[in-house]
Amino acid sequence: MLELNSITKIYNPGTVTEMCLFQDFNLQINDGQFLSIVGSNGSGKTSLLNIICGSIPIENGDVIINGKNIARLKDYQRYSRIGRVYQNPAMGTCPHLTILENMSLADNKGRRFNLSSGINKNRKSYYQEQLATLGLGIENKMDIKVGLLSGGQRQALALIMTTLTPIEFLILDEHTAALDPNTAEIIMKLTDQVVKSKKLTAMMVTHNLRYAANYGNRLIMMNRGQIVLDRAENEKAQTSVDDLLTMFNAISIECGN
Amino acid sequence: MNVLLDLIISTSTQGLIYALLSFGVYITYKILDFPDLTVDGSFPLGAAVTAVMMTNGSNPWLTLPVSMAAGALAGLTTGLIHVKLKVRDLLAGIITMTALFSINLQIAGSNLIINRDVDTIFTSAFVTSFLGSSSLIYRKLIVSLLIVIMVKVLLDLYFMTKSGLLLRAVGDNSVLVTSLAKDKGTVKIIGLVISNALVALSGSIVCHEQRAFSSTMGTGQVVFGLATVIIGTTIFQKFDSVHGTTAALIGSIIYKACMQLAISLGLPANLLKLITAVLFLAILVFGNYQKRHNATLKQKG
Amino acid sequence: MKKLLAVLIMATLAISTASCAGKDDVKSIGISQFGEHASLDNCREGFLQGLADAGLKEEEDFTISYQNAGFDTAIATQIAQNFSANNVDLMCAIATPSATAAFAAAEDKDIPVIFTAITDPVEAGLDSGNVTGTSDKLPVEAQLELIRSMQPDASTIGILYTTSEPNSVSAIAEYEAKAGDFGFSIEAIGVTAQSEVTLAADSLIAKNVDCFSNLTDNNVVGVLPSILEKTNAAGIPVYGSEVEQVKKGCVAAAGIDYFRLGQKTGLMAAKIITGEAEASEMKYETISEYSIYINSQALEEMSITLPDDLTGQAIESSEN
Repeated sequence: MLELNSITKIYNPGTVTEMCLFQDFNLQINDGQFLSIVGSNGSGKTSLLNIICGSIPIENGDVIINGKNIARLKDYQRYSRIGRVYQNPAMGTCPHLTILENMSLADNKGRRFNLSSGINKNRKSYYQEQLATLGLGIENKMDIKVGLLSGGQRQALALIMTTLTPIEFLILDEHTAALDPNTAEIIMKLTDQVVKSKKLTAMMVTHNLRYAANYGNRLIMMNRGQIVLDRAENEKAQTSVDDLLTMFNAISIECGN
Repeated sequence: MNVLLDLIISTSTQGLIYALLSFGVYITYKILDFPDLTVDGSFPLGAAVTAVMMTNGSNPWLTLPVSMAAGALAGLTTGLIHVKLKVRDLLAGIITMTALFSINLQIAGSNLIINRDVDTIFTSAFVTSFLGSSSLIYRKLIVSLLIVIMVKVLLDLYFMTKSGLLLRAVGDNSVLVTSLAKDKGTVKIIGLVISNALVALSGSIVCHEQRAFSSTMGTGQVVFGLATVIIGTTIFQKFDSVHGTTAALIGSIIYKACMQLAISLGLPANLLKLITAVLFLAILVFGNYQKRHNATLKQKG
Repeated sequence: MKKLLAVLIMATLAISTASCAGKDDVKSIGISQFGEHASLDNCREGFLQGLADAGLKEEEDFTISYQNAGFDTAIATQIAQNFSANNVDLMCAIATPSATAAFAAAEDKDIPVIFTAITDPVEAGLDSGNVTGTSDKLPVEAQLELIRSMQPDASTIGILYTTSEPNSVSAIAEYEAKAGDFGFSIEAIGVTAQSEVTLAADSLIAKNVDCFSNLTDNNVVGVLPSILEKTNAAGIPVYGSEVEQVKKGCVAAAGIDYFRLGQKTGLMAAKIITGEAEASEMKYETISEYSIYINSQALEEMSITLPDDLTGQAIESSEN
């Protein structure tokens, strides 16, 4: 379970451009929830992810994962519990390393990076098995450099790498936004499949209202640092894309966009 | 013919000894993507430590690990300044390099000469026991070759370890390292430590070879290192299987060979740096041309 | 890649075979000079003159191959190795870094090395082995005497020097030991790089020294014009250590003549290549003769009048 308690986030504090995004913000995500977050630009979706991951500082509040407050930890320390797939496919993999080396790196997360062999040959078939579930054929290219893969293939690989070791929380940061519609569709289906099969607690920021409506079991809409809509389970299942679009337009008009 | 052989031997020896420096620059520049200027200070640091130990009668072989330790410390300093004090990479290197200029003089007192009655690694009993009959330039070549091969193999093996893999990852995509719950700063520091240890080792062996330490011997070594790494990696960019260390090694030998060629041609020394620059540019342009050529082929295919 | 290597090897081959050609009785001399610098150039010209004075003729008796390292120690190493590979009969090294490189390259082949323009051959490890040459030790006493006669009221002499330069460090020690005899005290400021020299000059001026006296310190001499600009503005005379510095605007110098130093080296070299003597048996020589050089224009600007006893022997050395 992830809890955000009384979060205060102020951008440019003490300057004329000072902007308070979150004031006493609270959110609770239960185990097994797959939460989609939608909202216009500047609504605070991405800031929320960055606050959880420790990429940006906060003025006040607690970030608690499974009872442990991680708000004072450095970003890399938090990632021992969190996995993150980025919008840019280049962020989740190393282009000059081979697929096998990338998988080996991911597989060693949470363990020591010592002087033992970087690649465990015995694990290769397991990696191939995992990659085969993608159905992209990259399990047969274990020794090619990841930089030679397409954006979609890299993103799929990043997804597998992020979820290869047990994590307590998965963050999907507009992870289909940089892909063409077909590839985005494939990645989205894969994501759903991975989240379900590994029973992950996940949080997905997206601009695609259809994905938000069709995937996951909880949905929130954000506006100016506040949650304006929060639907889960059956209520969420009954929310259609059109409903979302109507509400989205309403808040956008309110904002004057 | 002997002249040519002698020239090839002594030039290769120079290329080999300086290749250790190129390995160091390869790690920072090519793997970590960190332009490390510490090199201009850690190279003479190795030589200063060596010269002082040798004039005090220490075992010549002992100077190698001690110089490496001193170089490692220099790299650690740059790393801590960059990572902990959040000083930009280029500036962090400049700060350490500048400090080392004074430190080197403090260590050595002034420019030092090692007398001929003192044994260097090339004249030590250990080497002469199995290479005694061969002339000094052969001994220098063989000893340098053995050291360089040993260091190269160890480095290549290290790059295959988990720690080495993480080091390669940090220069390639530091975000991924953070995602793996590892502090990218620590990984960078490890890289700087290894790199500067190698650079100091190179300085140490140059001191053995020349029997001299001079406070200005580090000037321009960063540029030399960058040039050799870029020459090597550009030439071998088509071959994925060629190790970066091999490329740096060949780059170093080519560089020294070009200098020797320029000297043999009787080109004025004042123009040598200009020739270096032209060579450098030619190789870069050639590399770019190759890259574009390959890209066109790929598109057609 | 292979082509590149092939070209390199072919070119080197062509050159090395060309340089091998020659009769046995024509001795080959390789001159390795650390960099282009007026005093060092004078040394080299003097060296050639010395060989000529000994009755040897270029092409008939010896051939010269000249290289300068552009003040780069790594290049000096490769030059020395080139000479060694070409089995020259004698290496002439001008300035310390070239001499240490030549000595290292000649270690095994036992090629004789003759050096010049080195202040302290013992410190440089060049006092034993198949090596000899000439030392350019500064005539410190003569310089102090000169300053005393030109500026009877002066009490403090300022000196700039490079701390890593053994030649300069030993010269400073000698200045300090002998200054008292002439009623002077020495104010010395050390630098580690050329870029620090002008700053150090400012602080010497601020310390109200009565004059500057130069050593043959490359870092300091290299920026002499900017030092002179500052001292002239402050009305402080600068004494040089050799003729080239006086030409550039120093008031006077009791200095050795680098041409003569080179000449002496050339005479020694002649003995070695004719087989008259072995370098290993010849002790290095220190030139003791010095001359008084003056720059009347600079003296006038500092309103210093030349003492009568110097008018006869001083050599006018202004550039224009």
